[in-house]
Amino acid sequence: MYLTRRGLIAAAGVLVMTLPACAPSAPGGQTGSEQVTLDVWGWRQEDVAAYRKIFKLYEDAHPGVKVKYVPYKADEYDTILRTGLSDANGPDVAQLRSYGLLQPLVAAKSLVPLDGQVQELAGFPEPVLDGARGESDKQVYGVPFAIQTLHVIYNKGLFDKHGLAPPKTWDEMTTAFGKLKAAGLVPLATTVTDTWMLPIQQEIFGATTYGGHDYLTKMLAGQAKFTDRPWVDSLARWKSTSEYWPEQYEGVSYVDAQALFTSGKAAAFPGGVWELAAFGKSNPELELGIFNVPPPPGAAAERTLVPGYVDGSFGVSAKSPDQKAAVDLVRWMASPEFGRAFATELRQISAVPGVRPEDPLLAQALAAYQADPSPYVTYAYFSGGTPTAWDLASEAFSTFVAGRSGAGDAAKHIQQGVDQWFKPSQ
Amino acid sequence: MTTRRRNVRVLVVHALLWSYAAVAFGPLLLVAIGSFRSNADILRQPVGLPDSLDLGNYVRAWETASISTYFANSLLVTVAAVALCVAVSAMAAYALSRWRFRGRALLAAFFLSGLMIPAKLGLLPVFYMFQSMGLIDTRPGLVLLYAASGVPFSIFVIMGFMRGLPGELEEAARLDGANEGRLFVSIALPLMRPALAVVTVFQFAPTWNDFFYPLVLMRSDSKYTVPVGLTRFFGEFATDRATLFAGLVIALVPLALVFAFATKQIIAGLTAGMSR
Amino acid sequence: MTTGRARPSRAARGGYRAGRTSPAWIAAFCLPALVLYGLFVVVPLGTAFYYGLFRWEGIRPAEFAGLGNYGEVLTRYPLNEEIPAALWHNVLFFAGTMAVQNTVGLGLAVLLYRNPRGKRFFQTVFSLPYLISPLIVGYIWSLLLSPTFGPINFMLRAVGLDSWARPWLGDPDTALPVLILVNAWQWIGGPMLIFLAALGGIPRELEEAAAMDGASPSRAFWSVRFPLLMPAVGVITVLTFIGCFNLFDLVYALGGSDGGPGGAMDVLGLLYYRTAFEGGTNAIGESSALAIMIFILVFGASLVLERFLRRREVTP
Repeated sequence: MYLTRRGLIAAAGVLVMTLPACAPSAPGGQTGSEQVTLDVWGWRQEDVAAYRKIFKLYEDAHPGVKVKYVPYKADEYDTILRTGLSDANGPDVAQLRSYGLLQPLVAAKSLVPLDGQVQELAGFPEPVLDGARGESDKQVYGVPFAIQTLHVIYNKGLFDKHGLAPPKTWDEMTTAFGKLKAAGLVPLATTVTDTWMLPIQQEIFGATTYGGHDYLTKMLAGQAKFTDRPWVDSLARWKSTSEYWPEQYEGVSYVDAQALFTSGKAAAFPGGVWELAAFGKSNPELELGIFNVPPPPGAAAERTLVPGYVDGSFGVSAKSPDQKAAVDLVRWMASPEFGRAFATELRQISAVPGVRPEDPLLAQALAAYQADPSPYVTYAYFSGGTPTAWDLASEAFSTFVAGRSGAGDAAKHIQQGVDQWFKPSQ
Repeated sequence: MTTRRRNVRVLVVHALLWSYAAVAFGPLLLVAIGSFRSNADILRQPVGLPDSLDLGNYVRAWETASISTYFANSLLVTVAAVALCVAVSAMAAYALSRWRFRGRALLAAFFLSGLMIPAKLGLLPVFYMFQSMGLIDTRPGLVLLYAASGVPFSIFVIMGFMRGLPGELEEAARLDGANEGRLFVSIALPLMRPALAVVTVFQFAPTWNDFFYPLVLMRSDSKYTVPVGLTRFFGEFATDRATLFAGLVIALVPLALVFAFATKQIIAGLTAGMSR
Repeated sequence: MTTGRARPSRAARGGYRAGRTSPAWIAAFCLPALVLYGLFVVVPLGTAFYYGLFRWEGIRPAEFAGLGNYGEVLTRYPLNEEIPAALWHNVLFFAGTMAVQNTVGLGLAVLLYRNPRGKRFFQTVFSLPYLISPLIVGYIWSLLLSPTFGPINFMLRAVGLDSWARPWLGDPDTALPVLILVNAWQWIGGPMLIFLAALGGIPRELEEAAAMDGASPSRAFWSVRFPLLMPAVGVITVLTFIGCFNLFDLVYALGGSDGGPGGAMDVLGLLYYRTAFEGGTNAIGESSALAIMIFILVFGASLVLERFLRRREVTP
């Protein structure tokens, strides 16, 4: 280095002094032409072919409109969308995350509020619309497309081979896992390195322990906390299944866990219903089943609970040059025609009311969820401020699962973070 | 006696070199071998030879990812950015090390202080600036950005080199009446060649490999560079390692060949650059 | 002590004598670089400072906040604990890289310098990983290090080292060292080539003279050649330092944006990314404030580093 120190400091001064402010701005939209192409952005790269088929229905019914699904890698999607929504070259319609992750977009006024524009939304149940609502103004910004439910997905062939059936009690479940382990199988293909899966696993194994919606209601009213006994116990319960996780689970990634399950090395995979389609595709011979975790002794809930949440929605970019056409498309996405196509092509549970999944497993999942629903607490709630419970939970659980902190510490991490902004409702 | 000790030494040295070669090349070899195996086979047996020479993975990788497009984009962007960066830096470095003028030291420090700026920190402002300039999703935008972020390092290297270079030739030419522009092009530039080689080498790879800027600034698949294109490919084939490996091999081989042929020039340039 | 390097006379070396050049020429030579660098590097940083003074709602500045964002970033849990932790990981990473990558690079350069046979082949093989994008390197290594399907643990088990097989990237104790090693694996060609070039520039007679004086080869190396490598060490230190604080892609690929198990690989680059792109509605304000703080920190550290290196150079 040949710089003089004074030179450096002077240069630093110059750096800071050069202060032109160019606030973000965007060119105005151009006027519509006869042929409209709508770009729909999303995070499902594996769904391109299915969306092409689905949007074909719309294109056939609306000559002059072309709809293109533009997928991005899920990990980077939020980054790309936030910036993409701020100019006219971005998407016309975008797949939006639910709850907390939606809020920055709402605050930025990047989206068109749909209340009054899409009458069909009136038919959606309130809890489903909650996923697409702005925290600040309570307006709905997207048409919800899918309901995700969380289960233990199991390999029927392997369960049959070892004479096992979906367990009715916690003890039955652990006995079954023990049997599978003794047979040299991985009972539960869990992932740890992809931390977003951790809060999902916690709900699957811990929901009954803290008590699902009943406990959530108390939390929202400020009468219960993450750090209280039931919720802390739910963490310990979940971790107690770790003897059935893969060897050296600390280093197992999401993709590894999927591969363990589809290759028949693991008998079950705790995750969301969206896995069913992926599993079916990568190993068509796999016979799949789902069950939910029965309450362990001392659990707050007596019935087996099925956690679920609204996955995401389709919203309209405020910067879209073809806003009218985009709103029309989104309106169609609230129709049973779209719902049915979505359920068939993507093998997921459509959020459109009255659309029954044809797939028997999805039908089972939906029926079970509707009978005994349980919230995805850290993701769907406590997400209206920074830091969100979901971010905190992902961090805390990663430390907890690695054995570097106790259940109490993990819960405290979340509570301490959320306490900085959360105001209980009266 | 001494020759035997010499032989032993040579043997030890070669053993060391070969073992590091294994470390450097082993992982790549695993990828290369894996690209000929089936995915199920890789999952069953992480290390092993292919059952048969199956090119199916390559066909799938080639058809899915537009690797040739990504490649052309990367080449275009990288070559243009490095060329632009080297050109403007050489001129500035020449002026800063050969001419005396007011504010010279300050200007030099201003440029060199850029070495310490983690450039990625300006990403958000860059994004909005690009938006107002209509540079989002354009290759020229990337070229300007990469060229700009390479300026401090290039000036640093070229100035260092010029400092060790006697100015007599230029003096002589100046006395002969050549103007400054001519002097630079016909005398200084050829003399600087080793330094320019160093700069080119050290700018090329990071520019080629950058993933973050195109991720945020580029929109269309047809304008993606190799790293972003591959990331997308990785997302799509996350569970299919065999196809992934094939894609990697396709993306790597051309670059590796270019590098293998260019090593000699690179080393020569570096040697001249370092021993100023 | 006089070094053997031929030092030209001061006047000739400086070459500054060329006095008055017309302002037009100065402008013509300096402006292109200045405009490019100013517009795309300095202005964004200045803008970041400006952004950091506002509270944002998404992509709209809502109100002037003064230094409020700085306070927010420094006091809000868990950011207030993550910043020092990330900084510490950067420091460890820098130290580890200097210790591993640059010493091994020097070792390889010396070996190659002494044994020119197959030099080009080895140079190429050692530098090959340098050509791969760090992101891809990260993906490849996370596949290789996977405890379930990764060849590394598989091979360790195959040779009976079962206890060595670990969840490398999932264990907070091994994650950062693995990161340093993988990074070194990728970049080792850089220091190796620079050292090799520097060694090639040292006249052979010097060492021969030392050998005639009866010095052993290793002594000859440390007392004669190594001091002459100091400029190369300086360049490499600077490059390592820059690379270290720009670290992002590789960690992102190896440990995700949370920085691996319990944040064991969290570094400043990731922290900025998380604040900017995974933050809440005021993400732009907070991340800009964070960016300016990181900038000041890195700038300050480089002042110290620069002073230290300069002192080393004047006393060979």
